[in-house]
Amino acid sequence: MNLLEVDAVTHRYRARPARPVLEQVSLVVRPRELVSLVGESGCGKTTLGRLVAGLERPSSGHVRFNGRDIWSLRGRSAKKWRLSVQLVHQDPYASLNPGLSIGSTLGAGLVHNKLAQRRNLHEHLLGLLRQVGLEATPEFLRRFPHQLSGGQRQRVAIARAISVRPSLLVADEVTSMLDVSMRVAILDLLRSFSEDRGVASLFISHDLGVVRYFSRGGRILVMFYGTLVEQGPTEEVVARPKHPYTYLLLEAVPVPNPTLARERAATRPPAALEGGPASTGCAYSNRCPFAEARCRQDKPPSVEVSPGHQVACHFPERVPPPSTAHGNCQSPGPLPTGPAVARVGFEPSRATEPQ
Amino acid sequence: MIKVDNLTVSFGPVRAVESVSLDVQAGDIYAIVGESGCGKSTLAYALLGIVPPPGRVTAGEVRWKGKSLSHMSKSELKHMRGAEVAMVFQAAMNAFSPVITIGAHLDHALEAHPDVFPRRRDGQEYFRHLLELVRLDPERTWRAYESQLSGGMKQRVAIALALALKPSVVVLDEPTTALDVLNQRLVIDILADLHSSLGVTVIFVTHDLALVAELAGKVAVMYAGRLVEAGTVDEVFDERGRRHPYVSALTAAIPSVVGAASAVRPVPGEVPNLAQLPPGCRFSPRCAFAEDICWVEEPDLVPDRSGHLVACHVANRLVGVVSEK
Repeated sequence: MNLLEVDAVTHRYRARPARPVLEQVSLVVRPRELVSLVGESGCGKTTLGRLVAGLERPSSGHVRFNGRDIWSLRGRSAKKWRLSVQLVHQDPYASLNPGLSIGSTLGAGLVHNKLAQRRNLHEHLLGLLRQVGLEATPEFLRRFPHQLSGGQRQRVAIARAISVRPSLLVADEVTSMLDVSMRVAILDLLRSFSEDRGVASLFISHDLGVVRYFSRGGRILVMFYGTLVEQGPTEEVVARPKHPYTYLLLEAVPVPNPTLARERAATRPPAALEGGPASTGCAYSNRCPFAEARCRQDKPPSVEVSPGHQVACHFPERVPPPSTAHGNCQSPGPLPTGPAVARVGFEPSRATEPQ
Repeated sequence: MIKVDNLTVSFGPVRAVESVSLDVQAGDIYAIVGESGCGKSTLAYALLGIVPPPGRVTAGEVRWKGKSLSHMSKSELKHMRGAEVAMVFQAAMNAFSPVITIGAHLDHALEAHPDVFPRRRDGQEYFRHLLELVRLDPERTWRAYESQLSGGMKQRVAIALALALKPSVVVLDEPTTALDVLNQRLVIDILADLHSSLGVTVIFVTHDLALVAELAGKVAVMYAGRLVEAGTVDEVFDERGRRHPYVSALTAAIPSVVGAASAVRPVPGEVPNLAQLPPGCRFSPRCAFAEDICWVEEPDLVPDRSGHLVACHVANRLVGVVSEK
């Protein structure tokens, strides 16, 4: 059975009833699955996260958890569901109460939900800190958020979310406020919950580089202004995108390699980044370099192009292979030349890799 | 153009920037890169002589076109800031006044520096041109209030405003942070365009090495207040050349769309507290290659033949730049 089902959800905000934030969005998340939702700022991905967490009620359609509509749940089952889905927010500077110590922040949920008794609460809290890679000392529990770094705060926020033993984490841009050097550690931590305890994740981000790392072995969903335009296995979507928007998002990600950056700059098609969705036909037709008259009239249905890989585009075959695809599984280039000592870099794993 | 000579900036007993020397030439795109708390923003502030108190320059100096900042008069400094060098601060997009239009922001800048454009109309004309260069609609943007613009648009307006007085240098602090990838790409392209079409020298501060690889020509890498590596982008990113282990670790920590996702690994540990620095090399507690000497002696920045600087005992010995001690 699917853990989460979002079924034909349309959502409007009262301020702008004519333009739905989400339109006929359907998706599923299976137990322990790593699913990423990617799209630009303002495309509705945070709203979808809020609907999944039950913070907002969809204008139409259903959000089901373990097969039951979350808005039909009452009493004990409602309470159980509340704990099962936990949200981790983007900004660890805003999501922690500055007036509460780390111990109080983490302990409140445990005590309220009777997941720990007062006499062994302390051990529970230290165990939580250990699980998220923080210093597990009584001294740390007495600290306040302002005494922690951004990475440490985000770990506390994650510890708070997992403290009530959820089966689904909704992680909304959890790494975008952090230094690049801290991101991977946080992503590894979130992934470990899926491997060790079977917690599924719906990971929301604008950066396909981060998404590719996080949901390897899982799936990617690409959203453009309230509609899912492409979804499929992570490696498939990154290597062979079939929607022009996915292609654009891939080509936009900066790469830490100046030679490749120059090559990509030379071949990157100029793309219109501005302009909202088209009101008729394909929402992306306003910006799409491959759009034709048909795209402006008919809304493309979602079709399966390979197992589990669906795309809503009239002309998926026109999307070129991304400039990064060829480098994905190859060694970084020809063998080095020059004096032997100059070859010794600082990456022993790469240096010993068979070429 | 700008020469930083042995600069130390202290906040009480803590040295946020320690003995840093840089040489930025006219026409460079120069990146200052490092993690949070490594002193890179403080260094950027020092370039303009605007280190926030209680911080102050305790040693060394910054020279603009040969003239030391500490010898400039108040009016010289005022002319320099704005008309010679402009700064786009971190989160500049949140620094607009919500009650005046973008055009009014420009008028304030023109009034503060009447010598740049004796006729205000010329300044306004130039700003329209700049708005086009940052790919915004000049007329609509001119009349807009900040609440009517998206985050990405505001960042581009901030860049255009910084350039409105025709500075020869623009300093940007984290120009792409808090933007989504499409807007990051746009800002990268725009800065590269502005550099080539206006000939403006660009200095930017970032924690993202991918942005450095995409945009910069030269790089200075800072760690815990010190310069640990400096050179051209190609030298610094050359995986087979002499590199500081910190730079290798930072590069390997970037989840990108190239390379094997499984090869990405986090940088172990955290930046040390500047008040409690480890002995020897400041990076040694996090370094996978630290040797005995690294725990005792702080390495010097050593150039190789092409002038690529690295401060690492191990890297220097491997390429035979310095003999074994």
